Amino acid sequence: MSIQTGSAWVDGSGSRLAKYNFFKRVNWGRVSVFSVPTLWLAIFFFIPFLVVFKISLSETAIAVPPYTALLDWNAEDAYLSLKLNLGNYLFLFEDSFYIDAYLSSIKIAAVSTFFTLLIAFPIAYLMARSKPSTRALLLSLVILPFWTSFLLRVYAWMGFLKKNGLVNEFLMSTGIIDQPLIMLQTDFAVYIGIVYTYLPFMVLPLYSALEKMDMTLLEAAEDLGARPATSFFLITVPLAVPGIIAGCVLVFIPAVGEFVIPSLLGGSDTLMIGRVLWDEFFLNRDWPMASAVAIVMLIVLVLPIMLIRNSQGKEETV
Amino acid sequence: MNPKKLGLAAALAITVSTTALAEEQVVNFYNWSDYISPEVLENFTKETGIKVNYDVYDSNEALEAKLMSGGAGYDVVVPTGSFLERQVQAGIYAEIDHSKLTNYGNLDTVMIEKIARHDPDNKHNVPYAWGTIGLGYNIDMIKARLGDMPVDSLDLIFKPELAAKLQDCGITVLDSPAEVVSIALNYLGLDPNSESKADLAKAKTLLSSVRDNYRKFSSSAYISDLANGDTCIALGYNGDVLQAQGRAEEAGQGIKVDYAIPKEGTVVWFDLLAIPADAPHKEAAYQLIDYILRGENAASISNYAYYAVANKAAEPMVLEEVLNNPGIYPSDEVKANLFTQNAHAAKFDRLLTRAWTGIKTGR
Amino acid sequence: MIETPSDSALEASPQITELPLWKQEGATPFLRIENVTKKFGDFTAVDNISLDIYKNELFCLLGGSGSGKSTLLRMLAGFESPTSGRIIIDGVDMSGIQPWKRPINMMFQSYALFPHLSVEDNVAFGLKREGLGRTEVKQRVAKMLDMVQLDHLGKRKPHQLSGGQRQRVALARSLVKRPKLLLLDEPLGALDKKLREETQFELINIQEELGVTFVVVTHDQEEAMTLATRIGVMNHGVIVQTAEPHDVYEYPNSRFVAQFVGSVNLFEGRVIEDQPDSVRINSQEAGAVLYVSHGISCAPNQKVHVAVRPEKMRISRQQPDQQENCVCGVVEEYAYMGGLTVYRVRLASGKEVRVTQPNISRASSERLTWNEQVYLFWDLDSSVVLTA
Repeated sequence: MSIQTGSAWVDGSGSRLAKYNFFKRVNWGRVSVFSVPTLWLAIFFFIPFLVVFKISLSETAIAVPPYTALLDWNAEDAYLSLKLNLGNYLFLFEDSFYIDAYLSSIKIAAVSTFFTLLIAFPIAYLMARSKPSTRALLLSLVILPFWTSFLLRVYAWMGFLKKNGLVNEFLMSTGIIDQPLIMLQTDFAVYIGIVYTYLPFMVLPLYSALEKMDMTLLEAAEDLGARPATSFFLITVPLAVPGIIAGCVLVFIPAVGEFVIPSLLGGSDTLMIGRVLWDEFFLNRDWPMASAVAIVMLIVLVLPIMLIRNSQGKEETV
Repeated sequence: MNPKKLGLAAALAITVSTTALAEEQVVNFYNWSDYISPEVLENFTKETGIKVNYDVYDSNEALEAKLMSGGAGYDVVVPTGSFLERQVQAGIYAEIDHSKLTNYGNLDTVMIEKIARHDPDNKHNVPYAWGTIGLGYNIDMIKARLGDMPVDSLDLIFKPELAAKLQDCGITVLDSPAEVVSIALNYLGLDPNSESKADLAKAKTLLSSVRDNYRKFSSSAYISDLANGDTCIALGYNGDVLQAQGRAEEAGQGIKVDYAIPKEGTVVWFDLLAIPADAPHKEAAYQLIDYILRGENAASISNYAYYAVANKAAEPMVLEEVLNNPGIYPSDEVKANLFTQNAHAAKFDRLLTRAWTGIKTGR
Repeated sequence: MIETPSDSALEASPQITELPLWKQEGATPFLRIENVTKKFGDFTAVDNISLDIYKNELFCLLGGSGSGKSTLLRMLAGFESPTSGRIIIDGVDMSGIQPWKRPINMMFQSYALFPHLSVEDNVAFGLKREGLGRTEVKQRVAKMLDMVQLDHLGKRKPHQLSGGQRQRVALARSLVKRPKLLLLDEPLGALDKKLREETQFELINIQEELGVTFVVVTHDQEEAMTLATRIGVMNHGVIVQTAEPHDVYEYPNSRFVAQFVGSVNLFEGRVIEDQPDSVRINSQEAGAVLYVSHGISCAPNQKVHVAVRPEKMRISRQQPDQQENCVCGVVEEYAYMGGLTVYRVRLASGKEVRVTQPNISRASSERLTWNEQVYLFWDLDSSVVLTA
């Protein structure tokens, strides 16, 4: 290569040739296919992440914006200083409150994800097994809720779950209970809200995994002596694993950081990291601390999930 | 707040944005929702030719986040006193040149003095409206549980034995740590603006002792909860409670809501007009503020929003039902017990938030 | 490759001298299909089929798509239940018995290997359902993989195998449970020609070694010919003919069978002379009187078809001595195929006849070419009269 360029210096035509080869060698279609998502990730994920990370290393200040600069330039002495404040991160571990909030968020998200999976699986299964015409209808029914505002739907649940709401009125009129149940402003309502809101995100990947499944595999399993329940757990579920993982990731991650649902449906004692973030940002006006909370959340959540996905991808390529 | 007014406001918002001529004379006004009578803005544009870009928010936090990020481009904003206090420290606001406001003399000097506790010499603000935090309650539900006991005391929500009696019909408390803790401190006979850890701990003990009797901490949901009968007593803003009262009347379900200012004293809050330091149309901002200070306009706002204005010139034009409502315009006697809740140092804010989360979550 | 395994297969079968079971009077069938009908809505997929299959048979259901052969197979496996009729396996009525309880295993056309399980686990799947101990499962899986020569690939996943290897995994998986009856749905369909021929004989070996009764569904008549002890030719939900491969080919009982199994020339004609051991037929299509050396039951002057296989005909420029079974035509097309040459000859009636001739001589001068006038003739016992 270096010899080639050397000769290109001497010979003008050679350099043109080398240039031509270069452009031929680079597959621009391929480059653009990869560069668009990379650029997207860089602009909308990586750069904001760095900005938040930067803020998390600064200190609060009564100023606009309300935090100190990391770099300080003293023109008189021509002295550039970099000040990194790790105190925010240390503080996260000093006060057990933050760890409690992370754990509680993870618990709520995990429980919700589990129930979402439990409800989504039969739906996705039914969709994948139904006739193509019915399938289109069911698919649109699953997506239909997205046509109304998310807030409106959560408010609708408030109407269902409140003390004199539909659920209580129904249960009372049928005589199942004689005192209204307190459902709103409880963790139960938060679970319902999250499960309901994120259900489509679980159904769709599951459906796409189940739809690809060859039905004769189940017949083969039955033929080999497996009862339907056994073949479901030994064949259907393992084959749906990519869908299950994708669905769980899609539900779990946003559920951990969920803010709106716990504030509308949850009780005041529903402790979630989204709420802590809000308090840091708006009540304490501590942008650096809020940023540190966000960064730790990202690391706690995204890293293990990326590792899982990575190892899964490797297994598939083997 | 009746629906007709809301409809008019919506119609106005449209006319304001569409009928504006291609003049560069504009003023960007960022205000609380449902907080100004539409004709005030309409008439202002007619008189001065300045187009008003009217935008609304529903929390001080939302306003602050925009202002703190910088470059929001607003000319007039309406922060609450304690927020303005801190924002002034951050250098967000321009100093007000009072000489440019011909109607500044209309303002109630007693109130101006109180406001000066947030903003010395009122250098950065012009009062807009003010109100109190008090008890909104369902008349019949309380009567059924407490008999003829007067509902003008914080004992109802701060004394465990009383709060327990109201637990089943629902107690709601503002989800606003600074204000509620301030009221609790005052109730305990301590300085409502104390930043002492010991005082905070006492307030926490008080609130924690009654926490289990509270149904929720909420800064807005209590309006509909009161109106629907889902809650029977709420510590909230007077304007919100009166709004709930209006809604309950309209619904005609026989739910009667009333508001009481606790005799132990409570927080008085001021919403203040301020001009951000980076406001692009400062002159227009002055014109708008001066226009709002006119007696008839201030009265119009008070009549529309059911909030008190600290404007002496307005009083003769304020509707009787508003002026004589002790929930809106309390007697001087009651006024004497009101105190401002001042901004805290950042360190104390953190302690306060932490204590508040502890109270709410029972940790 | 073709000859050796088949020879050894023949040698390996000890009962070759005995009369096969289906020819023995009063032998008990292993699988009895009794008046089985299957309807899907208005469509009758299987129409009142009765069939007996005996132990150690390799029975082929041969038919085109939509003939009902797969539906019949699925009823045997228990994936479909008959609308009416009974299926009896080894004396047990299968109605109401779920697929997982039947002493039957099936090899699927797509193989239906579990993609998430290794070869070993695929094969072990059925054994584990029986609740066998781990060591026994291991031993039997190893033995079975050894038999299908996949013992070195046990840890692989199906997608890492070739088509032939997958086929053998599927076979191993269906055999490892030692079923009384093995159903094979187009077992060789997905393999290329060469692999298919190899596997055919492997299948026969395994079948004879294990003594399992096989029922194979196929649309490929060559496959059926090679594999089967008997063939049932299906059409429109009905078994048209059940016979040994040789008989199906040489003595088809209908035009459908004659045409479906191999290629055939059919001459329409009328019976002019009906003897107990011979028939004489006047065929305008052939332009000749045709003589068939077997008796048929028919009405005088009945319209019948005479079937002659292309390879049974001889072709010559010279008129042969024989009077009967000799027709005259013009070579319209021919194709040299190495071992043999295929001719298309047009008769005076306009009828097109297909003739294949082995290329015995190497000399090209003897070869017939286009537009040559030729005589086609065949032996008196080379043709069959078809009344249906």
